[in-house]
Amino acid sequence: MYIDPTTGSLVLQFVAAGVLSILAMASRAREALKSFFKLLVPRRGRWAGKP
Amino acid sequence: MGWQAVEGSFRDPSGFVYTRDGTLYRQVNSSFREPFEAFLASGLYDELATEGLLVPHRSVGLELSASPEAYAVLQPDRVGFISYPYEWSFGQLQDAAALTLEIQRRALARGFTLRDSSAYNVQFQGGRPLFIDTLSFAPLEEGKAWPAYKQFCQHFLLPLMLMSSRDIRFGQLLRSYIDGIPLDLGSALLPRRTWARLSTLLHIHLHAWALGRYSDTAVGSATKGRSMSRQGLLTLVKNLGDATRRLSWRASGTEWADYVDDNNYTAAASQNKRNLVIGYLRRASPRTVWDLGANTGEYSRAAREVAPQVISFDVDPAAVERNHRRVRAEGETGILPLLLDLTNPSPAQGWAGRERLSVEDRGPADALLALALIHHLAIGHNLPLEQIARYLSRIGRRLVIEFVPKSDSQVKRLLLSRPDIFPHYTKDGFEQAFARYFTVESVSPIEGSDRWLYAMSSRGNGG
Repeated sequence: MYIDPTTGSLVLQFVAAGVLSILAMASRAREALKSFFKLLVPRRGRWAGKP
Repeated sequence: MGWQAVEGSFRDPSGFVYTRDGTLYRQVNSSFREPFEAFLASGLYDELATEGLLVPHRSVGLELSASPEAYAVLQPDRVGFISYPYEWSFGQLQDAAALTLEIQRRALARGFTLRDSSAYNVQFQGGRPLFIDTLSFAPLEEGKAWPAYKQFCQHFLLPLMLMSSRDIRFGQLLRSYIDGIPLDLGSALLPRRTWARLSTLLHIHLHAWALGRYSDTAVGSATKGRSMSRQGLLTLVKNLGDATRRLSWRASGTEWADYVDDNNYTAAASQNKRNLVIGYLRRASPRTVWDLGANTGEYSRAAREVAPQVISFDVDPAAVERNHRRVRAEGETGILPLLLDLTNPSPAQGWAGRERLSVEDRGPADALLALALIHHLAIGHNLPLEQIARYLSRIGRRLVIEFVPKSDSQVKRLLLSRPDIFPHYTKDGFEQAFARYFTVESVSPIEGSDRWLYAMSSRGNGG
């Protein structure tokens, strides 16, 4: 390492990576839940026996 | 000694770039042997070089080294023309940022990291950005943060944000701050609405605050032994990429961006001028042409039919941006659009005034094109014809220049709001001024206009 990363920048980087990772996980979880409920609850048309 | 250091290559103790008998070499110092061998063995170099992301090199013998610290000597492919971030358009800086992050992403995937993320590590070749610092790679130390994060924000993200959400001219701050725009300055300049955008809030505003808050704190006590996972680094790089990609700037509305569609040439005059320019250049058969005041590069493309390398300079960020987009979209090689204010050209600057070269230092070009330019310099900027001639003779060996007389509607437009204080701005006055520094080889009227086209060669006495 030949450039000075500076303490403040390293601290902020930990915070930023943490926040962004949590948001990314939350986003993935939301997508997974959406897919799950889509599988669980068939569309209205199917209840009525329509294609 | 037999070798000459490249002035901008001295900050990294792992090696440096130099020339010997006109050939460019990069020395790798013994202190960097292990990381460099690991980099080559990992396959990362092959992957990046094969895909045209990193400049390729070949290893040569140690007898070509520049100092006893050498462990290896590389001969990298030479980049046609060295340009700097303050000479790039918005899209060029954005492309360079995307390249840096893509390289960091691929490096992380192979257990490596970029040790720095300077915009000066990128050059343009064939409209595409190319990473030129082969010694920027080191094995990733698990748990460690990215040391070049702040540098990336200062060199790329913040300038792009300022250009996109404030004013395109803020890109010129890179000329004053050659190690990137300070984050506290950028944070103060950005509009308040950017505080509501997560990426700007984190990477710029809070980043600037943290730099001040921890300025006197040792790393160990501030980070309290926290470690960064590789996934965390990848997430950070992805977010920086998303934030950079989302930024946009509409390249229009500036003074010159629409000039090509809004000038006083008839189609016949345009064609005649084009034929004359190509004819002159063919006789000169230059390798490098600098098109000064190129606008969106119409005549740069004509010059490219003759010369392998054309640098397409213009003062207008929108014109340069449109030119760059066209080069990129059409995969044109040999044309490099760059921002340049000819009345205040890029100076030699940085450490000892030599770290970054002036435009003049990067010349002379074999031929210059100065089409529809002289009236803007002489009348628009009050530059005496003799001084224009002298400067042009210093930066080019030959010159194709268009004289635009006072009877021309474009000159009349320049004189609309001011008294005519230019009694010497005549065809005779022009010829007299230029005869001091150039030999006129041919003169032709441009059909369908009052303009004249001259082909000249420099006398080499411009100083």
